[in-house]
Amino acid sequence: MGKSAYYITARELAALGREHIPSELISASHLIYSSPATLAFNSPGAQGFGVKRAGLAVPGSVMLLVAPRCCGRNTSALGNDSAYADRFFYLLLDDTDIVTGRHLMRIPEAVKEVCASCETFPSAVMICITCVDALLGTDMDRVCRKASAAADVPVVPCYMYALTREGRVPPMTSVRKSVYSLLEKQPRKTDSVNLLGYFSPLRDDSELYTLLRQGGIKQIREISRCADYAEYQKMSEANFNIVLNPEARYAALDIEKRLEIPFIELTRIYQIEKIRNQYRLLSQAAGLNFDDAPFFAEAENAVQTCLKEHGSLRFSIGEWSNCDPFELSLALLRYGFKVNEIFGTIGSGNFVYVKRIAELSPETRIYSNLSPSMISYKETEKPDFVIGQDAMYYHPDSPGLRWNGEAQPFGYSGVTALFREISETLKGRDAK
Amino acid sequence: MKMLLKRLSPFAPDHSGAVSVLFELGGLIVICDAGGCTGNICGFDEPRWFTSKCALFSAALRDMDAILGRDEHLVRKTAAALEDTGSEFSALISTPVPAVIATDFKALKRMTERRTGKPVLAISAAGTGLYDSGAETAYLELMQVFAIETLPVEQGRAGVLGVTPLDFSRIDAGTVVAESFRKNGWKDVYCYGMGAGLETIRTASAAEKNFVVSPSGLAAAEYLKKTFGTPYEVCCPYLPETLEKELGSLTGKKVLVIHQQFAGNEIRKLVGKNVIVSSFFRMEKEWMEPGDIQFSGEEAFLEHFANEKYDAVIGDPKFKHLVAHAAERFIPFCHFAVSGQLEEGQTI
Repeated sequence: MGKSAYYITARELAALGREHIPSELISASHLIYSSPATLAFNSPGAQGFGVKRAGLAVPGSVMLLVAPRCCGRNTSALGNDSAYADRFFYLLLDDTDIVTGRHLMRIPEAVKEVCASCETFPSAVMICITCVDALLGTDMDRVCRKASAAADVPVVPCYMYALTREGRVPPMTSVRKSVYSLLEKQPRKTDSVNLLGYFSPLRDDSELYTLLRQGGIKQIREISRCADYAEYQKMSEANFNIVLNPEARYAALDIEKRLEIPFIELTRIYQIEKIRNQYRLLSQAAGLNFDDAPFFAEAENAVQTCLKEHGSLRFSIGEWSNCDPFELSLALLRYGFKVNEIFGTIGSGNFVYVKRIAELSPETRIYSNLSPSMISYKETEKPDFVIGQDAMYYHPDSPGLRWNGEAQPFGYSGVTALFREISETLKGRDAK
Repeated sequence: MKMLLKRLSPFAPDHSGAVSVLFELGGLIVICDAGGCTGNICGFDEPRWFTSKCALFSAALRDMDAILGRDEHLVRKTAAALEDTGSEFSALISTPVPAVIATDFKALKRMTERRTGKPVLAISAAGTGLYDSGAETAYLELMQVFAIETLPVEQGRAGVLGVTPLDFSRIDAGTVVAESFRKNGWKDVYCYGMGAGLETIRTASAAEKNFVVSPSGLAAAEYLKKTFGTPYEVCCPYLPETLEKELGSLTGKKVLVIHQQFAGNEIRKLVGKNVIVSSFFRMEKEWMEPGDIQFSGEEAFLEHFANEKYDAVIGDPKFKHLVAHAAERFIPFCHFAVSGQLEEGQTI
């Protein structure tokens, strides 16, 4: 084996500044190491939501993947899930297709054949195209219009352009626009709101539902909770959208333009003071009155209980989890815990956390999962607790939580749930 | 419509086949993709990836790499990763992106060799082909690059080509296949790429005989025969025990096997001429019997079963629901390249 795994301390990185992030932490500057810790990056659909699964968020829709066979290979696994069985179809491209683009002529006929083979006529056909059509410069909107006319069904493009993942509109941003693009304009209702951002619902215990209801909102819709296409269409009656994930901002802008529904952005954070600030701003901006104090107290109590029961735990934090690992690390440090190491992708959006982390814990080591040197990663210090599926790969013998379940943690309830689960995991381990 | 899959999902592609041959050999494997192909190969087609480390990388190609054809950038990144990993060689494996922009892999190989001073394998795989074609290219390239010295023949030494998890649906396929040959009297058995390292490939000319257990190994066996005079034989001595138990009851019945050709032929050897061998993958004419079938796609497959009835069909469980109406019995015989399922009892 060659060199040891590259890392930089928070102090060193903060001193370099966001303009001088070392190339080892920038994925475009090196090959990307493929280990089980990076599966979510290389293949977002392998677990969780990638473009293919996300595209099927529209109730009653089916997907036609138009691509070389390699692009659809892992979708076989999704076919075993009853929610997706019989919803994926494939138009395979051969060597001539990928050079000439002649497959485009076959798409309308393929869509017709797919619809005819469905037991229930689909609400929409999502056409997923890949790097091949990105390079061919395919005008997929035009192809979809032709297919829609031929098969008499809405046809929507989903761009799985991995080549553009660090571009202005990466695939997971683009697909969010696709899944809301079928919404049609209708009169807005003042007591109706949509939550945009995830393809699975927030945890049922999220205080956001309660707070919005206290504020007079009667209908809170999420695409993943829409039982059918008719209910999905009701999302366009919302008075405003709440964007919970920056990847949904592009879709929200499109909805604002097409349907005149404005939006407000909230961020998933684990620092409870910041969560309180965020809710205060939401209350002011949307004119909603609610009381978040009990939820704040509950979250604070969960943190303090964990601290009291288990002391100042030393954490290792990964990015394959429902958090920004730098923000969560900062939250943990502010609560009085320690953070040995962070596995994450640093960028302009989260560099601000590095500066704060450097003040509280200058020797925290920062790694990039994607660096080729990670093949030589060796555990130098056993953490007391690990968060994130990637971090758990590096520390298989330490207690930990994947914290990447599909039900999305958010706000105070996310903090409460995280610290309760940490306590329970440690108690369970002690009991053994 | 030809090329439209309504009931099946895509089978393992060519670049997965190439990786399955190279995975254990200690090289730096670079998938020349944007990331998704690497995810598919590792997360779905390579069961060993979850249990053992391999220097497997994505080239992380981005739109500007494709538009500007920045081969030099890729060579630089490969050389840097080679320093990080200390690997003995590198393998550059193509995907749809280089295929569309017509990357010259031979030139890329020369550039990388010059920069790194280490051997480079260049494997063309557009992602449109099936795993066996990628595996075939990888075996051939390996032999051409590393098996260059003519050594004295060692009696009792056998080389085996065509053993991959994609063909045999086991992560210990090298061990069980080698054991089958040892039972037949061979002393030193090397399943290239599964259980036998790069050194055994370097000394491949010392084999008394080579065995080809799936069609992907044929081209390399031919190469070794032409270059060193090593004879080869086509056979498939390993079948799952649960399947072998079922075969006794099939004598005289009309049976169809859907699998890789040489495994199908082995079943015919054990059961009798009443067995028809079929495959979605490569069928070599020389080892086909009259009546054997190569399916060109899902449409042809469904059409066949609309017109034919069998006493038994042997194949991957994924086919069961598609042939149930045309078969008295369905006998499962996992084919990882079809379903991504390992043989019963094998876990990752």
